Amino acid sequence: MNMNVSTHDRIVSVAPVEKMPIVSLVKVSKTYIRGKLVALTDVSFDVGHGEFVVILGPSGAGKSTMLRCINRLAEPTSGQIFLRGNEITAAPRSLRKARQEIGMVFQQFNLVTRLSVMMNVLCGRLSYRSTWRSLFYSFTREDRAIALECLEMVALGQKAFQRADTLSGGEQQRVAIARALAQRPKLILADEPVASLDPKIARQVLDYLRDVSQRLGISVICNLHQIDFAREYAERIIGLSQGKLIFDGPPSALTDDILNQIYGPRREGTVG
Amino acid sequence: MASSYDIAVDQGLAREAAWRHRRMAVRSLVMAGCGVVLWLAAVRIHLSLTNIITGIPNMADFFGRMVPPDFSNLRSLIAPTIETVQIAAWGTVIAVVASAPLALLAAHNTAPHPSVYFVTRLFLNLLRSINELIYALLLVSAVGLGPFPGVLAIALHATGMLAKFVAEEIEHVNRGPVEALQAAGSGRMQIILFGIMPQVFPAVVGYILYRFDVSIRSATVLGLVGAGGLGFSLITSMKMFKYHETAMCILVIILLIWAADAISSHLQKKIL
Amino acid sequence: MQPRLSFGGRLRFLLYLAGGAAFLAWSANALELSGGELFRSLPAIGRYIARMIPPDWTALDGLWGPTLDTICIALWGTVIASAIGLPLGILAAKNLTSSRPLRQASLAILNVLRSISELIWAIFFVSAVGLGPFPGALALGVNFGGILGRLYAEAIENVDPKPLEALRATGAGRVQTILFAVLPQVLPQIVSYNLYWFEVGVRSATVLGMIGAGGIGFELVTTIRLYDFRQTSAILLVILGLVTLIDQASALLRSSIVK
Repeated sequence: MNMNVSTHDRIVSVAPVEKMPIVSLVKVSKTYIRGKLVALTDVSFDVGHGEFVVILGPSGAGKSTMLRCINRLAEPTSGQIFLRGNEITAAPRSLRKARQEIGMVFQQFNLVTRLSVMMNVLCGRLSYRSTWRSLFYSFTREDRAIALECLEMVALGQKAFQRADTLSGGEQQRVAIARALAQRPKLILADEPVASLDPKIARQVLDYLRDVSQRLGISVICNLHQIDFAREYAERIIGLSQGKLIFDGPPSALTDDILNQIYGPRREGTVG
Repeated sequence: MASSYDIAVDQGLAREAAWRHRRMAVRSLVMAGCGVVLWLAAVRIHLSLTNIITGIPNMADFFGRMVPPDFSNLRSLIAPTIETVQIAAWGTVIAVVASAPLALLAAHNTAPHPSVYFVTRLFLNLLRSINELIYALLLVSAVGLGPFPGVLAIALHATGMLAKFVAEEIEHVNRGPVEALQAAGSGRMQIILFGIMPQVFPAVVGYILYRFDVSIRSATVLGLVGAGGLGFSLITSMKMFKYHETAMCILVIILLIWAADAISSHLQKKIL
Repeated sequence: MQPRLSFGGRLRFLLYLAGGAAFLAWSANALELSGGELFRSLPAIGRYIARMIPPDWTALDGLWGPTLDTICIALWGTVIASAIGLPLGILAAKNLTSSRPLRQASLAILNVLRSISELIWAIFFVSAVGLGPFPGALALGVNFGGILGRLYAEAIENVDPKPLEALRATGAGRVQTILFAVLPQVLPQIVSYNLYWFEVGVRSATVLGMIGAGGIGFELVTTIRLYDFRQTSAILLVILGLVTLIDQASALLRSSIVK
C-alpha cells in the first residue's frame, strides 16, 4: 500500500481502501408531472471507493436524471441516497456538506466564461470559504495552491490566468475537471463530459479523468452514450434503459444481447 | 508526482501573486480616483446622512398630510388623465412624422451630403438635450397656458430622441438587400422604402412604443408649469394645500404609468 | 422581416389603427389642436425666438457652480440609484429569488419608485431636507433606482444558467453563487446602464433646479422670469454643450466596455 503524502501535505496519493461504499442509491425513482412522465424506476446500486463506473444508455434513458439526483440538482420522487453512510437530504447545511464532497463535470463545461481559468477553478473552493470572505473575491493561499495544483494535474497550469473563453473545448472541460478536483471530492459525477468534443479530444479528457481517479482514489460515475468509450475506460458498467437498471457488471460481461436490451426500442413517456 | 507539482505550483503562485498585485494596484488606483471624485461631489451637493435622518420627521409629516388620499376627487381626475394621454399621443405622433425625414438626413448612408448629416445631427442633439419641461416652460411663456404647448414640448424632445435612434438603426442596416436593389437599378426612394425600411421597422416600432410610454410619464409633469394634464391638477391642489387631493393625483399618475407600461411592453412583445 | 398576418390578424390590426386614428382625431378636437392653431401660434413662437437671439454670453458668469452642481447631482443620483436598484433587482429576479411574494413585492416597490416623477420626489425631499442640490440627488436616486432595478432584474434573468448550476453543485452558497456566476456575466451591462442613465440624469438634473433642487435649472427659470431671453438662450446653449459632451464621453466609455 502506497501512502504518499506530499511535503506540503496537499495530496494524499492513495488512501487505504475503505469498506463502506462511497455512494449508495436505494430504490431511487423520479417521475414528472404527477407520475405521467417516468424518468427513473427503483434504481439501486453502490459505488465503492476509487471505482470508475460508467453509466451506459441511450439518450432519454434517465442517466442525467439519476446523476443529478445524487447531488440533488434534481429531487428524487422516492428512494434514498447515501454518501459515505449518511443520507443526502434537502436540508441546506447537510446538502452543502454533501455537495462539497461531490464534484460535477457537465457536458457543456458550465464555466464562467468571463472569468480567468484560475478563478473558475477557485470556485471549487467556495464551499470552504465564508460568504463574508467571498464578498471580496478573496481566497486563502492554500486555496490558490490547491487550484494551481489541480490545474497542473490536467496540464493547464500555464494557462491559469487566461480568460476561460479563450480555451478550446477540450481545455475548458479539463478546467471543469480541475474545478471539481479543487473541492477535494470523494466522488466525481460526470454527465456526458465528452459529448460535445471530437473523439481524439474526448479520449484526452477521459484519460485525465481516469488518471485523476486512480491517482487520488476518487470514485467516478460517468454518463456516456458511446459504447466503445465505456468499454475502454470503465471498471464497471451500469446499463440504464427507460429508467430501469438492467445491467451491472464489468465491461467483459457486456454482451451484444445486453446491448440490445439497453439500446432497444423506446416506449413513450420516458425522460433522460 | 507530488514533488514535480510542488515546483510548478510554487512557480505558479509566484506568477499569480505578481499578476494579482498588478491588477489590484490598477484597481485600487481607479477606485481611489472614483472615491475622491465622489467625495468631492458629495461635499459639493451637501450630501449628508444626518440630514436625511433629521429630515425623516418632515417626510413623515408630508406623508401624514397626504394620507389618506381623497378618493372623492377621483371623478374630477378622469378628464385630466385623458388629457395627459392625449398630449402624449399627439406629441408622439408629431414626433414620428417629423422624425422620418430627419432620420434619413442624419444617417451616413442616406444623407445626401456630409454637411447635411452634420447639421442634422447637431440639430437633433439640440432637440434631445433640452428637457420637455424646459420646452414647456418656454412655450407656455410664448403661447400661453394649456395643453398645446405641452404637445409641442413632447414633440420637440421626442423628435430628437426618435430621429437619432432611427438614424442609428438605418446606419446599422444589413447592406445585402440594399446592394441587391441597387444592382437591380432601383431609385433612391425605392431603395429606402424596400431595402432599409423593412429592416428597421420592428426595432423602430418598438422604440416608438417605448417613447410613447416615456411621453406619458413626461406629460404627467408638464402640468406643473401649466401645460395641462394631471400635473396641473397636482400643482393646483398643492398650492391650495389640499394634500389629500395631491395624494390622489399621485396615485392616479402611478396607475396611469403602470397601465401604459403594461400595454407598451405587451405590444412590444407582440411586435418582436 | 414582418411576419405574415392572417386575415383575422390583419383585420384586428386595421381595427387598432382605425381606433387609434379616431382617438387622435377626438384628442385634437379636445385639445384644440389643429393645423390652424399651430399656424397661428408660429408668429408668437417666432417673436419669442427672435428675443433670444443673439445669446447674451454674460449669462455664463457664475454658471460654473450650478453646472458643476448639475453634474454632481447626476453622479450621486446614479450611485444612489444603483445602491437601491441592485439589491431590489436581485430580489426581483426569477432565477435568484424563489419566493414569489418576495419577488412581486420588490417589483412593486421598483414600480412605485419609477412611476413617481423625479420632480415630485424632489418636492418631497425638499420638504424633508430643505432646498439645494441634495434633495435633487435623492430624488434622482430614488426614481432612477426603480428604473435601474428593473433593468438589473431583467439582465439577471437573462444570464446563462449553466455556471449557476455548476456552482450550486460545488456546494457554494446562494450569495457566493451570485457573486461568482451572476455578477461577472451582468457586469458589462450594469456599467453600460449606469453610464446611459448618468447621461439621462444630467438632463433631468438641469430641470430639478426649477423647483429649487439645485443646478442650472434655477438660473434658467430666473432668466425667463426676468424676461432676460437673450440670457436664456445662452444658458440653453450651455446645457446643449454639457449634454453633448457627456453624451459622447458616455458613448465612448460604453463601447470600450464591450469586451
